Amino acid sequence: MLERFAKCALISALALAAFGCAGAKVAVPTGFPVPQVSKVPLPVGLYLDEALLSYVHRESLEQRGDWEIELGSAQQPMFDNLLSGLFIGHRRVLQLGGAHDDIAGVLAPSIEELQFSIPEQTRSEYYEVWIRYRFELHANDGEKLGQWDLTAYGKAHQQNHAGASAALRSAALVACRDAMAFFTQQFGKVPVVQTWLSSELGGSA
Amino acid sequence: MKPARITSILLACAGLAGCVTATVQEVRETATAMSTGDSIVVLGRRSQPTAAETELDFISCVADNMGRGQNALNVVNEQRFLDATFPWFEPRIAPLNHTELPTIIKQAPLAARLDEMGLKYLVWIEGSTQRIDSGGSLSCVVGPGGGGCFGFLSWEKDSSYEASVWDVETGQTAGKISSEATGMSYMPAVIVPIPLIARVRSSACSSLANQLKSFVVN
Repeated sequence: MLERFAKCALISALALAAFGCAGAKVAVPTGFPVPQVSKVPLPVGLYLDEALLSYVHRESLEQRGDWEIELGSAQQPMFDNLLSGLFIGHRRVLQLGGAHDDIAGVLAPSIEELQFSIPEQTRSEYYEVWIRYRFELHANDGEKLGQWDLTAYGKAHQQNHAGASAALRSAALVACRDAMAFFTQQFGKVPVVQTWLSSELGGSA
Repeated sequence: MKPARITSILLACAGLAGCVTATVQEVRETATAMSTGDSIVVLGRRSQPTAAETELDFISCVADNMGRGQNALNVVNEQRFLDATFPWFEPRIAPLNHTELPTIIKQAPLAARLDEMGLKYLVWIEGSTQRIDSGGSLSCVVGPGGGGCFGFLSWEKDSSYEASVWDVETGQTAGKISSEATGMSYMPAVIVPIPLIARVRSSACSSLANQLKSFVVN
């Protein structure tokens, strides 16, 4: 019986090796740095909805198996660290509507789209991940002030990682860090944010 | 065959290796020196989107070699540096040439972190190791009575790396060091394949690290 099981396992392993990649299931690590930038002198709220906190991208690639990237569990630490670097204070809000007197506004991120590619598709040596985030900015009375999109990108060279899972996880992590970097760099240049900062800081922004 | 004899044959095989030719060139633009408490970081250039990227283990190999042995330097771990200075050296934002460095290091929070680390020099490494030629053939057979291989394989690898040393205080390029290594590896097989591997990347790494060490301490 044991011998038969061993034969089955060996045949499966050989089939896997012969027919290539059978997909991967990865979760993005939850450790993120805090941006080292001058802080905006305002406290803000952060609204993370259930769709974002449980975000999982699943895709089947023809002859390449089933792939799954779990991003949801990384979102809270990612945005907590991002906002703690950018603002003098922040806290989670549980709903977008309603007044919040202790904060100047509420930021509500969402993931609109995630795409990835593997080396076999692009004939390159990289696993690549693109994440399109949408950010909504709400006033502290709940009114929506505007929204903007941000596309983050991450890549990982296959030779730097032991297997498809590690490389895809790394590419997704790089994409999350890129989203944080891009947000930090672009935040003050977004028209709706500029208007909001001017009104909140009395034109000193 | 006795175990001792097998061991001695394996050890003899392990001692064999293909030949590597390595060259290092240095261009100095300003004087350099490191004092006690000063540190240096070695970073790999990671541009966006897809472009040739330096191997992570090459970066860590250079950093490790600079941080040990005679005249060992205080080398900051690359990932620790990237986290501590986030997001200024992320691929999207990282300065592409030394002229962008003064603007970035004027940022007060970043300047404070660099000061905490005592960072004196920043080394950017670009390049990679490629297989440039290969030939021969080797076939292996496994049967009920045993197995074996017969044939001959050879391949040539070329490592080409360049390190730019930026002075964090002056925002100037202190100099550039290039390291090139080429080597041919062989694998003859008569029943048992015997790999004679030319350690091309390892040679480029140690040459570059040694030269960088002597460059920054002047």
